[in-house]
Amino acid sequence: MIVRIKNAKVYDPTNKVDGRIKDIFIKDGKIIKRPNPKEKISQVINLKNKIVMPGGIDIHSHIAGGKVNLARLLLPEEHRKYLYSSTNNLRSGSGLGTCTSFHIGYKYAKLGYTAVFEPASLPANARSTIIEMSDIPLIDKGCYTVLGNDDFLLNLIQKKTSQKKINDYVAWILTSTKGLGIKIVNPGGINAFKFNQRELDLDAKNKKYGITPRSILKILTKSLIDLKAPHPIHVHGCNLGVPGNVKTTLKQISAVEGKPMHLTHIQYHSYSNEGDRNFSSGAAILAESINKNKNISCDIGQVMFGQTVTTSADTMSQYRNHSFAHPKKWICADLECEAGCGIIPFEYRDKNYVNALQWAIGLELFLLIKDPWRVYLTTDHPNGAAFTAYPRLIKLLMDRSFRNEELEKINKDSQNNSILKSLKREYSLYEIAILTRSGPAKILGLNNIGHLGEGAKADITVYTEHQDKEKMFENPFLVFKDGQIIVKNGTIKKVINGKLYIAEAEYDQSIKKEISIYFEKYIGRKMSSFEIQNQELWDHGLELEQIRCSRNDY
Amino acid sequence: MQSFICPFCSLLCDDIRLEIKNNSFVPLNSNCLILKKSLKRKIKDHFPRIKGKKTTMSIAIEELAKLIKKSKSILFAGMGTDTKGTKVSLDILDKFGGTIDHFSGDSYSKNLKSIQEIGGVYITLAELKNRCDTIIIIETTDQTVPRLFEKYIFPKETINKIKKRKIVYIGSKKPQFLLKNKNRFAFNSIYLNSQNLLNLISQLRQKINNNSLDSTKDKNLTFLFKLLKNTNYGSIILSASELDKDLCDLIINEINLLIQDLNKFTRFAGMFLSGIHHLVTVNEVLLWQTGFPIRTNFSKGYPRHNIDQFSTTRLLAKKEVDLVVWIDSFHEEKITFKKNIKSVLLGIPTHPQKKNADIFIPLGTPGLDHNSHLFRVDKVVSMHLKKIRNISLPSVFEVLSKVKERI
Repeated sequence: MIVRIKNAKVYDPTNKVDGRIKDIFIKDGKIIKRPNPKEKISQVINLKNKIVMPGGIDIHSHIAGGKVNLARLLLPEEHRKYLYSSTNNLRSGSGLGTCTSFHIGYKYAKLGYTAVFEPASLPANARSTIIEMSDIPLIDKGCYTVLGNDDFLLNLIQKKTSQKKINDYVAWILTSTKGLGIKIVNPGGINAFKFNQRELDLDAKNKKYGITPRSILKILTKSLIDLKAPHPIHVHGCNLGVPGNVKTTLKQISAVEGKPMHLTHIQYHSYSNEGDRNFSSGAAILAESINKNKNISCDIGQVMFGQTVTTSADTMSQYRNHSFAHPKKWICADLECEAGCGIIPFEYRDKNYVNALQWAIGLELFLLIKDPWRVYLTTDHPNGAAFTAYPRLIKLLMDRSFRNEELEKINKDSQNNSILKSLKREYSLYEIAILTRSGPAKILGLNNIGHLGEGAKADITVYTEHQDKEKMFENPFLVFKDGQIIVKNGTIKKVINGKLYIAEAEYDQSIKKEISIYFEKYIGRKMSSFEIQNQELWDHGLELEQIRCSRNDY
Repeated sequence: MQSFICPFCSLLCDDIRLEIKNNSFVPLNSNCLILKKSLKRKIKDHFPRIKGKKTTMSIAIEELAKLIKKSKSILFAGMGTDTKGTKVSLDILDKFGGTIDHFSGDSYSKNLKSIQEIGGVYITLAELKNRCDTIIIIETTDQTVPRLFEKYIFPKETINKIKKRKIVYIGSKKPQFLLKNKNRFAFNSIYLNSQNLLNLISQLRQKINNNSLDSTKDKNLTFLFKLLKNTNYGSIILSASELDKDLCDLIINEINLLIQDLNKFTRFAGMFLSGIHHLVTVNEVLLWQTGFPIRTNFSKGYPRHNIDQFSTTRLLAKKEVDLVVWIDSFHEEKITFKKNIKSVLLGIPTHPQKKNADIFIPLGTPGLDHNSHLFRVDKVVSMHLKKIRNISLPSVFEVLSKVKERI
């Protein structure tokens, strides 16, 4: 069966299509160049005056895993506030920032997103995270496995183990936890907090292992390059949220010496400590550094005003910020000699100096980083805001007068301490398509999503053009997943399952002997019960999409 | 010889080796009483039953489907099942309304209240094993998670190279399981009842927050104050089911607050045990699918959660349900029958009350009769258990999926 989409204005940056009217052909869930003359076109969809983009891709959104469930447990009030009834084809659910699994799928699909990546899958929790993901319909998913605070790795680094052996360990953990990428969270800092260290800057030593975050960062960055992993190291740096932390972020950029690194939610790592309140924007200097260092990609972690909940593996930072909890309750946990977890409910208020400046800093970064291929649109869901805020965020980027009106509403001192008003840039639809589709696909090393060229999955979002970009992006006219219409005019038409992207790495299996001994001696379980098998995921209805570690542009 | 991940408590020990003799299994390397008792059960018959009389599986399933369709208010109780069993139960409840609770609901709801009110600081088993120089065990026995102590509390080697762990027992009964291992750690005990425990923790919090013992002459208080001030990483293990029912939630709150206070200057975390029927597994699935833990109702078309309103005891006492589906695929927990409330038992074939239920459907046990996923007591780790026995006993998922097809 072949479907022809005609007359649509197409934005497909990967294939350099910038608002051109062109036809798209779909066959067996994929995009084909054009049908064979003998093949019959069974359906023609006329999309005159409509805008077409590939399905959206969220590179960093906390959609599953123990931390999200702990947040749900902590916040019954949020779930009582947002309740969703079951219908003939949809399940019931609740919550916004910690929305329940089925509705994460429904809501993303309704926004035109078709692939979302969970960025903090703790190795010991990976199995649970993926089983939970099997209940997120309509979108493709993937996980980044958290490393950089596990005692096994820190011990290897302390013993000055060869890079090759560390690469074998990284490859083993990536494949046995079914991750697509590796994420570092506060390198060494979460571990240091277990030894009661309350801060750990890039060159400070972890009390137990005597090694620095810099050494962990360098070694893991190199590992992923050596392994030709699909996605370069995904880094949540040191000193999250600390005034003055932009200096550390700049040092981190130089620490990787030109090697590819993805810096996540950089808004939280862009603070200077100037002025009366010792809190100011470091966006300009960070953006300048990112502009200069072509090896760096980033996502923003934009703050939007309102109640949310912050969930992070960075217990050191979360504990430091627990006094800001709103409502006044919080959870921290130390987990399996691997990392940790901190849940702090939080309300970002536009009249609060710090919160308002955080909002402005995020926007400054978006507007000052010149290359849209290296900056991606995120709110670090739910940490900066729920992903449902994306249409409004897109409007802030595309519409300067709206942005300035919003700026007028925030804390006056924050306004005065931000250069936002002077920034004239307005994102184009083409650039938004890069930020939310083509860019994330490219940095994730996924060739079959994020574009509308031959061979791509027919994940397509159709918008009705609207002066008000928030209105345009919050209610796509049609959304296709794998060639099937899943959303029409804001209603879910069909519920299907997306796939799970996982990386396939080759490595020297002899590392498993040492890991196995470590597991039995210290972790108190067998390595074999830790390793996730494909069959058990298939049993939960998950289809896997294996991405070989063969990236050749590092 | 067969290696085995034990499904009979929430420790999920994966180091078990079994000897297979005439379709029965004998543990070779474990003295765990729960495991031994569970494997000793001899299955004489595994017929489904209607009002005690043998029937076929298809008739039993048909009858259950009819009862669910007819029911105005269903309760899924017990919920001794795995992830897929929970998923299919929630699928049915979401379509037909009804409530979900668990065997351990009463004790867990005390933990839950405290989490929902103030949060907490927690730890997983590997952290407990490797980090803690001090462990305070409050009113906990080795009955519900027998190998917790041998595997994680008295280990030979730890990452932190702990020389002699300090263990303090606080409770009303002598902890024989600790006393017989006394030479493996530095041991102290404080014997008191729940009321005095509550007082002790409250006073301790006050002294810790004032950073002074003032002029107290209380030996226990002095001892604990000094111990905690010198702890590098400590943990409190607690079993809510062993505490006085009326004071339980107050005690748990005070302990959670004490742990928060201690983290101001050192590292400290709690581990709350949750019984043998895999409450954690059921709760985790509930949380991600509905946003709420156990004691959630779907009769309005969306999830509503209330710890008190949706308790099994209350719903049965007030006769607010007309059908109870008890699920118990691990043990033989005693269940309650009420006049004028239809009772269905999905249980293991040896369940002693199988003839008393309106419908009985025999179940296999996850990890024994079918592949399964279960969550460990600390919520973080889940295990994939594989079938090792070949008797045609279905899983909760298989039974309820067939029921779902018929309604």
